[in-house]
Amino acid sequence: MFKKNLVAASILAATSLLLTGGCAATNTGKVDYSKMTPEALAEYLTLESGSFDLDQPTQEGTTARSRVVQDDLQKACSLKKGQELDDQTRAKIMADAAASIKYPAGGFKLGDWKRGRELAWSGFGFRLGNNPDNHKTREVGANCYNCHQIATDRTGGTLGTVLTGYGKLRGNSEDMLKYTYEVIYNPHTYYACTIMPRSGTKNILSQKDILDIMAYLFDPNSPVNK
Amino acid sequence: MFKRTLSSLSAALVAFGASSVYSAQLPEEVMEELIAKNPDSTYLVQSPQNLMMMPDNPAWDSVEAGEKLFRQPRGPKNASLEKCDFGKGPGVLEGAYVELPRYFADAGKVMDIQARLEYCMKTLQGFTDQDPAIKVKHGHTADTTVLQAYIASKSNGMPWNPPLNHPMEKLMRDTGEVMFYRRSGNMDFNCAACHSQTGQRIRASVLPGVSDPADWSKAISWPAYRFSHEATRSSSHRLYDCYWQMRYPNVTAGSDASIAVISFWTDAARGQPAILPDLKR
Repeated sequence: MFKKNLVAASILAATSLLLTGGCAATNTGKVDYSKMTPEALAEYLTLESGSFDLDQPTQEGTTARSRVVQDDLQKACSLKKGQELDDQTRAKIMADAAASIKYPAGGFKLGDWKRGRELAWSGFGFRLGNNPDNHKTREVGANCYNCHQIATDRTGGTLGTVLTGYGKLRGNSEDMLKYTYEVIYNPHTYYACTIMPRSGTKNILSQKDILDIMAYLFDPNSPVNK
Repeated sequence: MFKRTLSSLSAALVAFGASSVYSAQLPEEVMEELIAKNPDSTYLVQSPQNLMMMPDNPAWDSVEAGEKLFRQPRGPKNASLEKCDFGKGPGVLEGAYVELPRYFADAGKVMDIQARLEYCMKTLQGFTDQDPAIKVKHGHTADTTVLQAYIASKSNGMPWNPPLNHPMEKLMRDTGEVMFYRRSGNMDFNCAACHSQTGQRIRASVLPGVSDPADWSKAISWPAYRFSHEATRSSSHRLYDCYWQMRYPNVTAGSDASIAVISFWTDAARGQPAILPDLKR
């Protein structure tokens, strides 16, 4: 996997050199695709071809280009159908994920489950394009219900595990609170290459947001545990 | 149901003229057959309301508007699109849409319907990228959207069959596959995050899986009227909207990245019947 990426990266580097040598990147076939591997062409089409609007400002203060430049985890986890992680990469992903977690100074003190409920429901935030999400007018959501059934009063997706009765079934021991915080912050700590976002590591949710969502999951008064 | 279908058929005959109705089947009949052949699919039957509404699909208005636009002399060269070659010869529309994207020797590249339309609008009609006819890529009345609805309707019921004989067709398809699995964005999504399994849901919506050709055929049957957008939408718009949800930058309709992904996703539905125009949530 890493070898493949290296090859792709060097081809891409060579392509970029070629481009900066005077030949403008256009869609009109000036660049000879036929010499590229699918991996190299995918990088070229994403980052150099002008197919994506990479100059649009993002909510996090960068330009949209930063959204499609892959980090190490994204590269390692771009597994095609039938491809599997090797043990060494898996171990590195899990260790890196664990190392990225910042813990709340005051311990895992559960927050406001009512706010956590709204965060868990909301899919708002970070979208770009012609209809960009304005974070000044509305809070960024956690997207939990996209994939998880949580309380039964709202319809959740099925891509993730069922979390109904989360606290009631698991109890609220320190270990369980820590595990839950870590999974929300960076789930690759336990599940390498999961499709669940790294909401803490990627600054989608704050520590307070996570503690509020945890209250929604653990609080006996929360609809999740009714 | 049958009565409605019949009355809508005669309405269609009156609206478009009997000669222009190519397929003996209507989109709702293609859909009914697909469901009958795939009784276990939860994706195909998730919206009984949509199935009931298909005879009155507002996308037929787009088909009609598209046919008018197709035949109308327009642009600086005052020409219609009737000589545009969509891969099966100048002006041949029957079955052309299900064999796109494909390599076009005159343009020297692989094109999807959006790119090909823009190419013909430039070469035959003299439009430029700055003209609204080309610049406006999406919208219920966008030129390229209604033109696609018309051209696609000439492939209703036919099996998806994008050619992979030319090395560039194969390369674009394979590149689209890499992009389908390429994870990025601040939520680490790739297309496969939602579309690698069959029968799973995002909230209440059943998702189509790329490895289930029958579900996938319905999924890629665009143009379709989208009730939630109150607009007819194209394949390019489906991709734009997915990338929007994935927190990616805006992808341009007809761009090579868009063509690559659409090459891969069309190949994934190979052999299954196209439902054109379709009706979706």
